[in-house]
Amino acid sequence: MMLSYILLSGVTTGALYALVALGIVIVNKATGVINFAQGELFMFSGFLAWALHVQFGIGYPLTLVLAIAGGFLLGVMTDRIAFQPLKNVDVVSLVLATVGIAFILRGVARVIWGGKGDYLTFPPITSPEPIMIGEIMIIPQQLAVLAGAVLIMALFWLFFRYTRAGKMMQATADNAKAATLVGIRTDRIYALAFGTGTAVAAAAAVLAAPLTLLYPDMGFSFFIKGFAAAVLGGLTSLPGAILGGLLVGIAEALAGGYIASSLMEVSGFVVIMLVLVIMPSGLLGARRLRRV
Amino acid sequence: MLDIRNLKVSYGLTQVLRDVSFSVPEGKIVALLGGNGSGKTTMLNTLTGLVKPGGGSILFQGQECAGIDASDFVKRGVVQVPQGREVWASMSVDDNLELGAATRHDRAGIKTDLAEIYELFPKLKVHRRRNAGSLSGGEQQMVAIGRALMARPKCLLMDEPSAGLAPSIVADMVDTILALNKRGLTILLVEQNIGVAAAVAEYAHILQSGEIAFSAPAPGLVDNPAVLSSYLGR
Repeated sequence: MMLSYILLSGVTTGALYALVALGIVIVNKATGVINFAQGELFMFSGFLAWALHVQFGIGYPLTLVLAIAGGFLLGVMTDRIAFQPLKNVDVVSLVLATVGIAFILRGVARVIWGGKGDYLTFPPITSPEPIMIGEIMIIPQQLAVLAGAVLIMALFWLFFRYTRAGKMMQATADNAKAATLVGIRTDRIYALAFGTGTAVAAAAAVLAAPLTLLYPDMGFSFFIKGFAAAVLGGLTSLPGAILGGLLVGIAEALAGGYIASSLMEVSGFVVIMLVLVIMPSGLLGARRLRRV
Repeated sequence: MLDIRNLKVSYGLTQVLRDVSFSVPEGKIVALLGGNGSGKTTMLNTLTGLVKPGGGSILFQGQECAGIDASDFVKRGVVQVPQGREVWASMSVDDNLELGAATRHDRAGIKTDLAEIYELFPKLKVHRRRNAGSLSGGEQQMVAIGRALMARPKCLLMDEPSAGLAPSIVADMVDTILALNKRGLTILLVEQNIGVAAAVAEYAHILQSGEIAFSAPAPGLVDNPAVLSSYLGR
């Protein structure tokens, strides 16, 4: 019973990491850059949702939609501020620019939402009473998180498989010069990548908020887990990001449950190190070097 | 149809094209020859908006195009088939071709054009669901040409379509180029293979160190030892 509970909570947090990882992979696939602000964009979108839902009393479904839209805009702004002006400069500058965005977002979040106690609580969308399915105790919010994550992943799959915009993103990631030559506006594709990458993070944040509570420094921890998941999956593979997220979540839950709960925070780092040493291209990654 | 006048391009302090002028008349095939580093690829990249010129003008059907975006060149009907093919290796042949029509919105027209390209290259139809990266060099060249045709170009700029292909495939490529021209397509062909240029083009310009060094009817070029030795270094 202990094991099944641990596995369930591992899968639930893993699904959240998978969403953060998806955002990282989408941006990296299209632009070749790791967006180090992904965690802070996740945090900021969560606070945005909190403001809408708790402060302004907007219903949860509409809050989710608005937070996703807000996340998209934040992503496009990141593209305009940190990526477009620097895309012809070296990668280090680009990465540092995203780190700068991360610090700015954290600072702004502290100014707006800080000083209200250590954590802000986000009311659960489902009944907080645990339910029993057989022997397993489940918090309904966990099911909501799982269902939401699966829905978002399915939407992404459909987007890349069937829409023109999705295919244009894929083409730009594959060969940007060829994309420019057929008339694809690649700078719009980069903006779209940052926008959708952040929109996924926003969706993850709204799903996660009732479980994890909100605090301005939560971004880094989620970024590290999401990044570990993305690295594990190979950095350019969408299914890899999902698989990586679930594995990181489960590993973290097992380490916390059976060894020591203090290990939960470092599990992400351990995964990143192990993957880089043992299989640098990840589980489902392309077998070639990319700029990181 | 395409008039290039006093075109200048520099990368930093290096002048790659100095004062180049020539034209490509409607319905004709014109070849642009030259050795490595002569500025041929820069010329095509400038004529498709990848590189912005430092001076001069590019007139297409009488309209000034110097400095416009790559996507606007495609919309006006000037499309490049790049050197090295540059297909989207991880995407299917179908997707590669369909995205060639990225600037178009007429769904029905795109569908008929796709069918037409599969008629032109029946081999591609067999492999339509395969990833373009898994095809042979000749087949990838067909994908690259088909993708460019999906934009419904009026003028096609081809960068060394024969490079890296087996001689028998090069012969097919020559036939394809002639067939496209017969359908009314104007073609500017950049080549190192002087035989290919002589077989398809009416007129040839030889580019040397960023300048047009010599211009002549193309068919006679293969028999002109002075041209071969002095301009192409053979």
